[in-house]
Amino acid sequence: MAAIIEVKDLVKVFDGKIRAVDGVSFEVEEGEIFGFLGPNGAGKSTTINMLVTLHRPTSGTAKVLGLDVVKEANKVRQGIGLVPQDLTVDDDLSGRENMVLQADLYNVDRKDASARIEELLRLVNLEDAADRLVKTYSGGMRKRLELAEGLIHRPRLLFLDEPTLGLDIQTRATMWEHIRRLKKEHNMTVFMTTHYLEEADSLCDRIGIIDRGRIMALDTPVTLKRSLGGDVLQMSIDDGKDFMPVIQQVPGVVEVKREGSEYRVKVLKGDTAMPTVLKAIIEAGGNVSSVSLQRPNMDQVFLEYTGRSLRDAEQTQSGDRGERFARARAAERRR
Amino acid sequence: MLRETWALYVREMKHWYRIKIQIFMALIQPIVWLGLFGQSFNFTNLFPSDLPGFDISQVLSGAPDYFSYLATGMLAVIALFTTMFAGMSLVWDRRFGFLTKLRVAPIPRGIVPVSRMNSAVTRAVVQALIVLLIALGFAYVPGLVGLTLSPDFGMLDLLGIIAVLTLLAIGFSCVFISVALAVENQETLFGLINLLNLPVMFASAALFPLSFMPSWLQGVAKLNPLTWAADACRTFAFHNTAPIFPVWQEVLFLGIFAAVMVGISVLVARKLLD
Repeated sequence: MAAIIEVKDLVKVFDGKIRAVDGVSFEVEEGEIFGFLGPNGAGKSTTINMLVTLHRPTSGTAKVLGLDVVKEANKVRQGIGLVPQDLTVDDDLSGRENMVLQADLYNVDRKDASARIEELLRLVNLEDAADRLVKTYSGGMRKRLELAEGLIHRPRLLFLDEPTLGLDIQTRATMWEHIRRLKKEHNMTVFMTTHYLEEADSLCDRIGIIDRGRIMALDTPVTLKRSLGGDVLQMSIDDGKDFMPVIQQVPGVVEVKREGSEYRVKVLKGDTAMPTVLKAIIEAGGNVSSVSLQRPNMDQVFLEYTGRSLRDAEQTQSGDRGERFARARAAERRR
Repeated sequence: MLRETWALYVREMKHWYRIKIQIFMALIQPIVWLGLFGQSFNFTNLFPSDLPGFDISQVLSGAPDYFSYLATGMLAVIALFTTMFAGMSLVWDRRFGFLTKLRVAPIPRGIVPVSRMNSAVTRAVVQALIVLLIALGFAYVPGLVGLTLSPDFGMLDLLGIIAVLTLLAIGFSCVFISVALAVENQETLFGLINLLNLPVMFASAALFPLSFMPSWLQGVAKLNPLTWAADACRTFAFHNTAPIFPVWQEVLFLGIFAAVMVGISVLVARKLLD
């Protein structure tokens, strides 16, 4: 499989001092869903904006579909779709009129255009609302229309900048469904950014954790979680007896900690280790009153690689750096 | 390229006719001016009509009265005022993200100003023609002065007026679009538009004859595209025999003004939208 996005040492500096993206390198393979996970202001959107030709990199190179994003910008534009974070649909047109305009802008063959518009409106469940003005749409409907617009020219590569930001839980689930279906049915490559951990975890084939303009880790969600040292079995054993030696002998157990009747057992694979650990305890005469399996989640992964939890990161970002950064980005966006 | 330009033109026109109040607002100002200013300042009455050898129409570029003079100049002013909305709509598109869509789309950057210019010109000409009809209609309202055209005013004269207004609107819409592309802050833009509009309007022959002005102002006004357009309109409307410049020259100047401004706006778009 060939790399559909190749990024090398990409840097974006705003106002000569704010390093929004600070030397980022990565590759995205054709057909995968690749996610950038990080707090607001981490540099996710700035990276996307450079890849879709909206921002010029300060230094470094980026190739999309094998084309240089600066020198061959117009060819890149023809081959990619973008669902931006800030909506770009026209409020004073109907949903269908927006789609027709998009088809014209991307020079979609007129013969195909109307059939494709119907198909896409159906895909995002907007066929009933298609002839209403967009200003009457809800936030989720606008986002879905934006997704349909991004697909009008059947791009090989789709960029989704915070596709579910500000959507309610059901709408978010439908959005995920659409994204999964696109990948499955059209083998479309998706590059997305998100600051929802569960979104990155459940959608993405690979995740880059980005913080303060740098990639801190990059791998599959499973590997990232496993790198934390596996799962934890939390259990209570009622007898006063010490079962530590018994548990330690079970294959796959990495570490055991005991506090009274509470045991924390670190294991490599929780789902297969749990039955054998329980069996060993019962055979030794132990009476297990409760057991739970804790798998590391993306929040812990984030904590591990950035040294702070995602929630903390969001808060400090909104303090100094985040605010200056947001201002610089707003200024850039006005261009 | 034509397809994208047409698509964006249609979008702009839909915005225009869907927001009926906008058309109304754009027309109300010139009508109020004509109705109040044009009627009360009708200083034709100040001059004794029996003064030997004096003909008011010589002062007023061939217009039989000041109202007719003002009404024809107002056509050019409307073109100016309508085109300034082209700049404002660009600011809104930037603010509401639509400009991002255009920047990501695989279209030549020059399409952004050119499509917008086309719709601004359509609006300017349509609105000017509506005002022309209203000014003519004033003649049938008791107590009001109406626009009196030359007795042999014909279809060619009307086409001439439309051509002149088109060139003027092309030029000024590109001025406002270029400014809107270059200025990020919308307050600054509105300030700039106001700063531009009023001097352009007053330092021209649109509202008052040049002969009323001090000579330095006459010099400035003669360089003003609004003067060329208003004067050319009067030549067509009243078959004026003593225009400021011959009408072919005025049309030529307007053509050069339009071409240069289109060129500038395309260059600005290429530079700033990429």
